Amino acid sequence: MPQDKADLLQGTLDMLILKALSLGELHGYGIIQRIRQLSDEMLHVEQGSLYPALYRSEQKGWVSSRWDVHQTGREAKFYKLTRTGRKHLEAQEASWDRLVLAIAKVRQAT
Amino acid sequence: MKWFNILRDRIRALRQREDVIDDIDREMRSHLALQVEANIHAGMSPAEASEKAERSFGNVNRAVAAAYDVKGGGVFETLVQDVRYGLRMLAKHKAFTAIAVVTLALGIGANTAIFSVVNELLLSPLPYRDADRVVMLWEVSPSGRHQNSASRANFRAWSAQSTSYQNIAAFSDQRDNLTGVGDPEELTVQLATPNLFKVVGVDPILGRTFLPEDADPSADPVAVLSYGLWQRRFGGQPAIVGQPITLNGAKYTVIGVMPQNFQFHIRQRSGTGRPAELWSILPMPVGPGANERGRFLSTVARLKDGVSVAQADTELRTIAARLSDEAPESNKNWSAEVLPLREQFFGNVRRPLWLMLGAVGFVLLIACANVANLLLSLATTREKEIAVRAALGARRTRIVRQLLTESLLLALLGSLLGLFFAWLGIKALVAISPRDLVSLQTVGLNLTVLAWTLGVSVLTGIIFGLAPAFHISRLNLNDSLKEGGKSESGQATGSRRLRNALVVTEIALAVVLLASAGLLIRSFIRLQQVDRGFNTDNVLTMVVRLSDARYKEDPQVVNFFSQTLERVRQLPTVRSAGIVNFLPLYGGLGSSTGFKILGRPEPPPGQRPGTDVRVVDAGYFATMGIPLLRGRNFSETEQKEPRHVLLINEALARKYFPDQDPLGQRLDVTMFDQPTPAEIIGVVGNVRYDSLVDESPPAVYFPHPDLTYSFMTLVIRTDGDPAAIAPAVQREIRALDPNQPVSDVRTMNDVMADWVSRSRFNTLLLGLFAGLATLLSAVGIFGVMNYSVALRTRELGLRLAVGAQPRQVLLLVLKQGLTLTIAGVVLGLAAASALTRLLSGLLFGIGTVDVTTFTTISVLLVVVSLLACYLPARRAMRIDPLSALRYE
Repeated sequence: MPQDKADLLQGTLDMLILKALSLGELHGYGIIQRIRQLSDEMLHVEQGSLYPALYRSEQKGWVSSRWDVHQTGREAKFYKLTRTGRKHLEAQEASWDRLVLAIAKVRQAT
Repeated sequence: MKWFNILRDRIRALRQREDVIDDIDREMRSHLALQVEANIHAGMSPAEASEKAERSFGNVNRAVAAAYDVKGGGVFETLVQDVRYGLRMLAKHKAFTAIAVVTLALGIGANTAIFSVVNELLLSPLPYRDADRVVMLWEVSPSGRHQNSASRANFRAWSAQSTSYQNIAAFSDQRDNLTGVGDPEELTVQLATPNLFKVVGVDPILGRTFLPEDADPSADPVAVLSYGLWQRRFGGQPAIVGQPITLNGAKYTVIGVMPQNFQFHIRQRSGTGRPAELWSILPMPVGPGANERGRFLSTVARLKDGVSVAQADTELRTIAARLSDEAPESNKNWSAEVLPLREQFFGNVRRPLWLMLGAVGFVLLIACANVANLLLSLATTREKEIAVRAALGARRTRIVRQLLTESLLLALLGSLLGLFFAWLGIKALVAISPRDLVSLQTVGLNLTVLAWTLGVSVLTGIIFGLAPAFHISRLNLNDSLKEGGKSESGQATGSRRLRNALVVTEIALAVVLLASAGLLIRSFIRLQQVDRGFNTDNVLTMVVRLSDARYKEDPQVVNFFSQTLERVRQLPTVRSAGIVNFLPLYGGLGSSTGFKILGRPEPPPGQRPGTDVRVVDAGYFATMGIPLLRGRNFSETEQKEPRHVLLINEALARKYFPDQDPLGQRLDVTMFDQPTPAEIIGVVGNVRYDSLVDESPPAVYFPHPDLTYSFMTLVIRTDGDPAAIAPAVQREIRALDPNQPVSDVRTMNDVMADWVSRSRFNTLLLGLFAGLATLLSAVGIFGVMNYSVALRTRELGLRLAVGAQPRQVLLLVLKQGLTLTIAGVVLGLAAASALTRLLSGLLFGIGTVDVTTFTTISVLLVVVSLLACYLPARRAMRIDPLSALRYE
């Protein structure tokens, strides 16, 4: 059985999903699309990774969900960032920035 | 919050699994539909769009499964699955399940039963307030005799000089006659200083207990009743408080009634052998003639907060050392000790109880080994099933978890049945327990015991399940699938080694138990055979206690008993009758009384010769079968009035008159107010009075007129059943005095049986456990050999086909079994030699490593295991070569 890719990546995926949702309510497909757009087509999240991550975020109370009808008339499950989710996202982004900065400094050293 | 959400999802998934899956499925399909739409929007044909979308999505089912991992029942769901699956498996292998459950139930049941006793006696709090602060205080004699009663003078000194105690109380048990309500009856009365109830911290349910002023010699005598006496004799009437009762002819006013379960019975030095039913004030006279130096008091005290037992002990020893210097005539070289109350009550059973718990632990380990073996055998037939599950993607941890779940299920089923066995076992234990373990009556299955059983069974399940589970999960998939899991070769070697190791272990454990039980049994037999110096058959005993109020003068007392004996001797079937103040093995004073041999120089204080003192009549010796070795018995005159004569036992003659004729010598035994030398007129055989284990100490016998006791024990030898004569004897006594009760009507054989009852109890229990262990290991070796023969069918068939004799095959199998047995026996004997040391205090007459015992039990185990191997071996002998070769 394949293990989850890596916990390090999972945290990052959580952050990307929350970031996508911070711009507004979205369904699963929409989240993938938005991440793709925001990353200039560089990041493509697999469905197989997205939903477990989404469900976990829901259990942690970062997002909430509801079934609704899509603008095309098709029904879909929509996800929304909660207040805890927003706080978590801010904390994640801050620590990510620090990490990037730190790595950059280390790399400049040589 | 987070955990609550996860838990909520998990539990919802358990109850509405379909709904949860539907929801996930719906979301996935909606996702797919959106993708298709987007593709069409981008200009693809509908067919192309949906094909592309599906390809990019991958396997929908797998996506659902991955999502379900998060949202589904998770561990809970696998647990439910595992349990369901496990139950199905157990139901499928009915014989296996039955054997395993019964085996475990025996082990767990025995453990629960013994633990409930340990819990009650050694772990539960004693029924007194802060009982761990209550201690007993004793003197220690110069000869090192512990828990010796204290003298009044020393008790007073302890009270005055010690600083360790909140309260310190003295008490002494005696038997008194209650008259005036219904038939006269002899009661155990605890005479105590007023603060006894303060020390133990128990309040009366009615009225009050003693006040300091009750001890004033001029105060009216008062009494506190036990609940039982109140109910039995006074109908439980609350109006009893303030009423007068008659005790030994004197009036006492009832001031209170104690709670139902209250008792304070310190067996050591009690002399009455039973808990008190009534409490009255202990007289503490001072001054000349008060005999303050006689040692007969028991002392109990409550420690002050913050004072440890060790500190109190040190202080008491210091005081005792001082007393030894201040009053050497009675205290020279005497010391003292402090003993926690629990130690006092159960100190002597603690070791046997832990040993028993250890023994049942061994039994449980054997049961575990057996079940592990069964599981291993079963697992080999399940290899294919497990290999298929692994091939289908079950992770190894998942398989181990599944197998462990099955083991735990087995253990829990076993513990359910085990609780039933324990319930039966506890009933049996209480029924056969020694009389003096009074508190055993309250032993039962309580919450602590249930919790312990649950813990034990979970632990058991893990112990016997872990090895097979890991072993199986390591199996090589390919081999299992190919071979169909029926061979004794290749990867099965590890499994065989494990099974053999388990069998050797259980045999070794059984050897240790058998060796211990064997040692106890041999000691017990020795104890029965020891020359105790008297003959117990056909002897009836009963205690008669005359009231001091009505029999004031010694001649009255002497006269009453000689008349009684005269009448009893006339009764049909009575061959002889006599009296003694304390029966052998009954307890009694047991203290060593000092004496002087006239005409010899005075020995230094602390080194005076000591002797046991008994009061008898001439008929006592013939009745008890004690031989007169030299000289003569008491004459008629000597039994009517004091003539200052005595008999000595052989031990005293040997020790103090090694090369001198004791007859005609005169001894001054310090039992009297002034020196009263008495002439030795004869020597009688030794009697083990205090215990069967110890050699008889020196003893002297006074005739009743010389040393008159108002309570004496009648001993009556009859033709035929001695108990049958009891009513006639009681009639004769009542004819002499209608108000005179008798008590403790027992045959001498009963007295003996009581004395050895604890030793018999230990022997019986350990014997039972050892038997159980042997049976279980026989089952174990049978299982292993049977299974091994099944695995080797092909090989054995081949041997037969190429010309081996059936006999040779039989021997081959027996040899395999014997090798395992001998390995186990050797290992077990080594362990036993080390472990039986723990039994040392319980053995009598043999060492802890006894060659006869060890040899006997080794032979026994070898024979048992050969029998267990015989059935499989016979099966091997009868294998049909042709069908065996076609077997696969």
